[in-house]
Amino acid sequence: MLIWSTAAPAIGAAFLASVVEVVEAFTIVLAAATLRGWRPAALGTGAALALLASAILLLGPLLNQVPLHALQFAIGVLLLLMGMSWLRKACLRSAGVIPLHDEDAIFAAETAQLDGAARRHDARLDWIAGMTALKGVLLEGLEVVFIVIAVGAGGGLLLPASLGALLACALVLVVGMFVHRPLSRVPENTLKFGVGVMLSAFGVFWTGEGLGLDWPGQDLALLLFVAIFLGAGLAGTAIARGTAMEVAR
Amino acid sequence: MTLLKEVAAELIGMFFGDARLALALLVLVAVSAALIGLSGLDPLVGGTVLALGCPVLLIANLRREKRAIAPLKRSAA
Repeated sequence: MLIWSTAAPAIGAAFLASVVEVVEAFTIVLAAATLRGWRPAALGTGAALALLASAILLLGPLLNQVPLHALQFAIGVLLLLMGMSWLRKACLRSAGVIPLHDEDAIFAAETAQLDGAARRHDARLDWIAGMTALKGVLLEGLEVVFIVIAVGAGGGLLLPASLGALLACALVLVVGMFVHRPLSRVPENTLKFGVGVMLSAFGVFWTGEGLGLDWPGQDLALLLFVAIFLGAGLAGTAIARGTAMEVAR
Repeated sequence: MTLLKEVAAELIGMFFGDARLALALLVLVAVSAALIGLSGLDPLVGGTVLALGCPVLLIANLRREKRAIAPLKRSAA
Protein backbone atom coordinates (compact mmCIF):
# COMPACT_ATOMS: atom_id res chain seq x y z
CA MET A 1 0.00 0.00 0.00
CA LEU A 2 1.20 3.51 -0.81
CA ILE A 3 2.25 5.52 2.25
CA TRP A 4 1.79 9.19 1.48
CA SER A 5 4.45 10.44 3.88
CA THR A 6 6.95 8.48 1.76
CA ALA A 7 5.33 8.88 -1.65
CA ALA A 8 4.66 12.63 -1.46
CA PRO A 9 8.35 13.67 -1.30
CA ALA A 10 9.14 11.30 -4.19
CA ILE A 11 6.26 12.67 -6.30
CA GLY A 12 7.17 16.26 -5.36
CA ALA A 13 10.89 15.90 -6.09
CA ALA A 14 10.27 14.14 -9.42
CA PHE A 15 7.60 16.69 -10.40
CA LEU A 16 9.65 19.80 -9.60
CA ALA A 17 12.88 18.45 -11.11
CA SER A 18 11.00 17.38 -14.23
CA VAL A 19 9.37 20.81 -14.61
CA VAL A 20 12.86 22.38 -14.70
CA GLU A 21 14.14 19.91 -17.30
CA VAL A 22 10.98 19.76 -19.44
CA VAL A 23 10.80 23.57 -19.65
CA GLU A 24 14.38 23.56 -20.99
CA ALA A 25 13.58 20.80 -23.50
CA PHE A 26 10.39 22.61 -24.56
CA THR A 27 12.37 25.77 -25.41
CA ILE A 28 14.61 23.79 -27.79
CA VAL A 29 11.69 21.90 -29.40
CA LEU A 30 9.83 25.20 -29.84
CA ALA A 31 12.87 26.75 -31.56
CA ALA A 32 13.03 23.78 -33.96
CA ALA A 33 9.27 23.95 -34.61
CA THR A 34 9.33 27.71 -35.18
CA LEU A 35 11.94 27.29 -37.88
CA ARG A 36 10.56 24.27 -39.70
CA GLY A 37 7.07 23.47 -38.41
CA TRP A 38 5.95 20.90 -35.86
CA ARG A 39 6.50 17.76 -37.97
CA PRO A 40 10.33 17.45 -37.72
CA ALA A 41 10.26 18.77 -34.15
CA ALA A 42 7.66 16.16 -33.18
CA LEU A 43 9.59 13.41 -34.97
CA GLY A 44 12.81 14.37 -33.16
CA THR A 45 10.97 14.52 -29.83
CA GLY A 46 9.34 11.13 -30.48
CA ALA A 47 12.70 9.55 -31.38
CA ALA A 48 14.28 10.93 -28.19
CA LEU A 49 11.39 9.62 -26.06
CA ALA A 50 11.74 6.21 -27.75
CA LEU A 51 15.49 6.18 -26.95
CA LEU A 52 14.79 7.13 -23.32
CA ALA A 53 12.07 4.45 -23.05
CA SER A 54 14.50 1.86 -24.50
CA ALA A 55 17.12 2.84 -21.91
CA ILE A 56 14.56 2.44 -19.12
CA LEU A 57 13.37 -0.95 -20.46
CA LEU A 58 16.98 -2.10 -20.79
CA LEU A 59 18.22 -0.85 -17.41
CA GLY A 60 15.01 -1.32 -15.38
CA PRO A 61 15.22 -5.12 -15.03
CA LEU A 62 18.93 -4.84 -14.14
CA LEU A 63 18.03 -2.76 -11.08
CA ASN A 64 16.10 -5.75 -9.68
CA GLN A 65 19.30 -7.80 -9.80
CA VAL A 66 21.23 -5.37 -7.58
CA PRO A 67 21.05 -6.07 -3.80
CA LEU A 68 18.85 -3.45 -2.10
CA HIS A 69 21.54 -1.94 0.17
CA ALA A 70 24.02 -1.62 -2.71
CA LEU A 71 21.32 0.01 -4.86
CA GLN A 72 20.36 2.42 -2.07
CA PHE A 73 24.02 3.33 -1.48
CA ALA A 74 24.83 3.90 -5.18
CA ILE A 75 21.67 5.93 -5.73
CA GLY A 76 22.20 7.87 -2.50
CA VAL A 77 25.72 8.93 -3.47
CA LEU A 78 24.65 9.90 -7.01
CA LEU A 79 21.70 11.87 -5.60
CA LEU A 80 24.02 13.68 -3.19
CA LEU A 81 26.38 14.61 -6.02
CA MET A 82 23.56 15.81 -8.26
CA GLY A 83 21.48 17.52 -5.55
CA MET A 84 24.41 19.42 -4.05
CA SER A 85 25.51 20.48 -7.53
CA TRP A 86 22.02 21.89 -8.28
CA LEU A 87 21.86 23.56 -4.87
CA ARG A 88 25.31 25.13 -5.27
CA LYS A 89 24.43 26.52 -8.70
CA ALA A 90 21.04 27.81 -7.50
CA CYS A 91 22.72 29.59 -4.55
CA LEU A 92 25.28 31.24 -6.85
CA ARG A 93 22.54 32.32 -9.30
CA SER A 94 20.27 33.55 -6.55
CA ALA A 95 23.13 35.62 -5.12
CA GLY A 96 23.86 37.13 -8.54
CA VAL A 97 27.34 35.60 -8.73
CA ILE A 98 26.48 33.76 -11.96
CA PRO A 99 23.70 34.78 -14.38
CA LEU A 100 20.18 33.34 -14.12
CA HIS A 101 18.99 30.79 -16.69
CA ASP A 102 17.11 32.79 -19.35
CA GLU A 103 14.68 30.77 -21.53
CA ASP A 104 14.07 33.73 -23.89
CA ALA A 105 17.82 34.12 -24.50
CA ILE A 106 18.24 30.37 -25.01
CA PHE A 107 15.31 30.35 -27.46
CA ALA A 108 16.85 33.25 -29.41
CA ALA A 109 20.27 31.56 -29.47
CA GLU A 110 18.82 28.20 -30.59
CA THR A 111 16.75 29.88 -33.30
CA ALA A 112 19.75 31.88 -34.55
CA GLN A 113 21.91 28.75 -34.58
CA LEU A 114 19.28 26.79 -36.50
CA ASP A 115 18.78 29.70 -38.87
CA GLY A 116 22.52 29.82 -39.59
CA ALA A 117 22.60 26.07 -40.16
CA ALA A 118 19.57 26.39 -42.44
CA ARG A 119 21.34 28.94 -44.63
CA ARG A 120 24.27 26.59 -45.07
CA HIS A 121 22.29 23.38 -45.70
CA ASP A 122 18.91 24.22 -47.23
CA ALA A 123 18.16 20.66 -48.32
CA ARG A 124 18.70 19.18 -44.86
CA LEU A 125 16.65 21.68 -42.90
CA ASP A 126 14.06 19.17 -41.65
CA TRP A 127 16.84 16.83 -40.57
CA ILE A 128 18.65 19.61 -38.65
CA ALA A 129 15.44 20.73 -36.91
CA GLY A 130 14.58 17.13 -36.02
CA MET A 131 18.07 16.39 -34.68
CA THR A 132 18.02 19.57 -32.60
CA ALA A 133 14.74 18.53 -30.99
CA LEU A 134 16.03 14.98 -30.49
CA LYS A 135 19.22 16.18 -28.81
CA GLY A 136 17.42 18.65 -26.55
CA VAL A 137 14.80 16.15 -25.37
CA LEU A 138 17.35 13.33 -24.99
CA LEU A 139 19.82 15.35 -22.91
CA GLU A 140 17.18 16.93 -20.65
CA GLY A 141 15.23 13.65 -20.52
CA LEU A 142 18.27 11.77 -19.24
CA GLU A 143 18.18 13.88 -16.09
CA VAL A 144 14.45 13.25 -15.67
CA VAL A 145 14.98 9.49 -16.05
CA PHE A 146 17.80 9.50 -13.52
CA ILE A 147 15.81 11.52 -11.00
CA VAL A 148 12.77 9.23 -11.34
CA ILE A 149 14.94 6.13 -10.87
CA ALA A 150 16.93 7.73 -8.05
CA VAL A 151 14.04 8.93 -5.92
CA GLY A 152 11.92 5.88 -6.74
CA ALA A 153 14.08 2.78 -6.98
CA GLY A 154 15.58 2.79 -3.48
CA GLY A 155 12.23 2.61 -1.71
CA GLY A 156 9.95 0.91 -4.25
CA LEU A 157 8.51 4.26 -5.30
CA LEU A 158 9.12 4.13 -9.03
CA LEU A 159 5.42 4.52 -9.86
CA PRO A 160 4.82 7.62 -7.70
CA ALA A 161 8.06 9.18 -8.98
CA SER A 162 7.06 8.42 -12.60
CA LEU A 163 3.66 9.96 -11.88
CA GLY A 164 5.36 13.16 -10.70
CA ALA A 165 7.47 13.31 -13.88
CA LEU A 166 4.47 12.61 -16.15
CA LEU A 167 2.43 15.33 -14.43
CA ALA A 168 5.28 17.77 -15.05
CA CYS A 169 5.47 16.80 -18.76
CA ALA A 170 1.70 17.17 -19.14
CA LEU A 171 1.66 20.54 -17.37
CA VAL A 172 4.51 22.00 -19.45
CA LEU A 173 2.99 20.63 -22.66
CA VAL A 174 -0.48 22.06 -21.97
CA VAL A 175 0.85 25.47 -20.85
CA GLY A 176 3.31 25.49 -23.78
CA MET A 177 0.54 24.74 -26.29
CA PHE A 178 -1.47 27.69 -25.02
CA VAL A 179 1.26 30.31 -24.72
CA HIS A 180 3.29 29.06 -27.71
CA ARG A 181 6.48 30.79 -26.56
CA PRO A 182 9.37 29.96 -24.20
CA LEU A 183 8.17 29.53 -20.62
CA SER A 184 10.46 32.21 -19.27
CA ARG A 185 8.17 33.09 -16.35
CA VAL A 186 8.72 29.73 -14.68
CA PRO A 187 10.81 30.52 -11.57
CA GLU A 188 13.51 28.14 -12.74
CA ASN A 189 16.11 29.02 -10.11
CA THR A 190 13.67 28.77 -7.20
CA LEU A 191 12.59 25.35 -8.48
CA LYS A 192 16.21 24.31 -8.90
CA PHE A 193 16.97 25.44 -5.35
CA GLY A 194 14.01 23.45 -3.98
CA VAL A 195 14.89 20.37 -6.01
CA GLY A 196 18.55 20.63 -4.94
CA VAL A 197 17.39 20.66 -1.30
CA MET A 198 15.11 17.63 -1.83
CA LEU A 199 17.61 15.57 -3.85
CA SER A 200 20.37 16.24 -1.30
CA ALA A 201 18.03 15.19 1.53
CA PHE A 202 17.12 11.99 -0.34
CA GLY A 203 20.84 11.47 -1.01
CA VAL A 204 21.79 11.57 2.68
CA PHE A 205 18.82 9.33 3.55
CA TRP A 206 19.56 6.61 0.95
CA THR A 207 23.34 6.72 1.50
CA GLY A 208 22.78 6.10 5.21
CA GLU A 209 20.23 3.34 4.55
CA GLY A 210 22.60 1.78 2.02
CA LEU A 211 25.33 1.71 4.68
CA GLY A 212 22.96 -0.22 6.94
CA LEU A 213 21.91 2.73 9.10
CA ASP A 214 18.37 2.92 10.53
CA TRP A 215 17.57 6.62 10.72
CA PRO A 216 15.60 7.57 13.84
CA GLY A 217 12.00 8.29 12.83
CA GLN A 218 12.63 6.41 9.56
CA ASP A 219 11.04 8.34 6.64
CA LEU A 220 10.39 11.35 8.86
CA ALA A 221 14.16 11.86 9.04
CA LEU A 222 13.82 13.18 5.47
CA LEU A 223 12.03 16.26 6.83
CA LEU A 224 14.96 17.00 9.15
CA PHE A 225 17.41 16.65 6.24
CA VAL A 226 15.26 18.96 4.10
CA ALA A 227 15.36 21.56 6.91
CA ILE A 228 19.16 21.19 7.25
CA PHE A 229 19.80 21.64 3.50
CA LEU A 230 17.28 24.47 3.25
CA GLY A 231 19.10 26.30 6.04
CA ALA A 232 22.48 25.62 4.44
CA GLY A 233 21.25 26.80 1.04
CA LEU A 234 19.86 30.05 2.46
CA ALA A 235 23.01 30.66 4.51
CA GLY A 236 25.21 29.87 1.51
CA THR A 237 23.21 32.26 -0.69
CA ALA A 238 23.57 35.01 1.92
CA ILE A 239 27.33 34.44 2.04
CA ALA A 240 27.65 34.56 -1.75
CA ARG A 241 25.31 37.57 -1.97
CA GLY A 242 27.52 39.38 0.53
CA THR A 243 30.28 39.15 -2.03
CA ALA A 244 28.13 40.49 -4.84
CA MET A 245 27.07 43.50 -2.73
CA GLU A 246 30.65 44.08 -1.61
CA VAL A 247 31.77 44.18 -5.26
CA ALA A 248 28.90 46.52 -6.22
CA ARG A 249 30.04 48.95 -3.51
CA MET B 1 29.32 10.23 -32.42
CA THR B 2 28.90 13.88 -31.45
CA LEU B 3 25.55 12.99 -29.88
CA LEU B 4 27.17 10.21 -27.81
CA LYS B 5 29.88 12.62 -26.67
CA GLU B 6 27.26 15.16 -25.66
CA VAL B 7 25.29 12.51 -23.75
CA ALA B 8 28.48 11.46 -21.92
CA ALA B 9 29.31 15.10 -21.13
CA GLU B 10 25.76 15.66 -19.85
CA LEU B 11 25.97 12.61 -17.59
CA ILE B 12 29.35 13.66 -16.17
CA GLY B 13 28.15 17.24 -15.73
CA MET B 14 25.07 16.00 -13.83
CA PHE B 15 27.20 14.60 -11.03
CA PHE B 16 30.52 16.45 -11.25
CA GLY B 17 29.39 20.01 -12.03
CA ASP B 18 32.01 21.22 -9.55
CA ALA B 19 34.85 18.70 -9.28
CA ARG B 20 36.12 20.02 -5.93
CA LEU B 21 32.70 19.73 -4.26
CA ALA B 22 32.12 16.28 -5.78
CA LEU B 23 35.49 15.02 -4.55
CA ALA B 24 34.90 16.42 -1.06
CA LEU B 25 31.49 14.71 -0.95
CA LEU B 26 33.00 11.36 -1.96
CA VAL B 27 35.62 11.68 0.80
CA LEU B 28 32.87 12.55 3.30
CA VAL B 29 30.84 9.48 2.26
CA ALA B 30 33.96 7.30 2.66
CA VAL B 31 34.61 8.71 6.16
CA SER B 32 30.96 8.18 7.15
CA ALA B 33 31.03 4.63 5.79
CA ALA B 34 34.17 3.91 7.83
CA LEU B 35 32.57 5.36 10.98
CA ILE B 36 29.40 3.30 10.46
CA GLY B 37 31.02 0.04 9.45
CA LEU B 38 34.45 -0.10 10.99
CA SER B 39 34.79 2.18 13.99
CA GLY B 40 32.68 0.27 16.51
CA LEU B 41 30.95 3.54 17.42
CA ASP B 42 27.17 3.93 17.33
CA PRO B 43 26.28 3.97 13.58
CA LEU B 44 24.36 7.20 14.15
CA VAL B 45 27.69 8.97 14.67
CA GLY B 46 28.60 8.20 11.06
CA GLY B 47 25.09 9.22 9.96
CA THR B 48 25.35 12.52 11.79
CA VAL B 49 28.75 13.22 10.24
CA LEU B 50 27.20 12.60 6.81
CA ALA B 51 24.05 14.68 7.44
CA LEU B 52 25.92 17.65 8.89
CA GLY B 53 29.04 17.32 6.77
CA CYS B 54 27.22 17.87 3.46
CA PRO B 55 25.83 21.34 4.36
CA VAL B 56 29.21 22.30 5.82
CA LEU B 57 30.89 21.32 2.53
CA LEU B 58 28.30 23.32 0.56
CA ILE B 59 28.87 26.48 2.60
CA ALA B 60 32.67 26.01 2.49
CA ASN B 61 32.44 25.65 -1.31
CA LEU B 62 30.36 28.82 -1.64
CA ARG B 63 32.79 30.73 0.61
CA ARG B 64 35.64 29.53 -1.57
CA GLU B 65 33.71 30.60 -4.67
CA LYS B 66 33.22 34.00 -3.04
CA ARG B 67 36.97 34.42 -2.51
CA ALA B 68 37.74 33.24 -6.05
CA ILE B 69 35.15 35.35 -7.88
CA ALA B 70 35.25 38.62 -5.92
CA PRO B 71 38.70 39.77 -7.13
CA LEU B 72 37.79 38.87 -10.74
CA LYS B 73 34.58 40.94 -10.53
CA ARG B 74 36.44 43.83 -8.89
CA SER B 75 39.02 43.96 -11.65
CA ALA B 76 36.27 43.81 -14.29
CA ALA B 77 34.34 46.68 -12.64
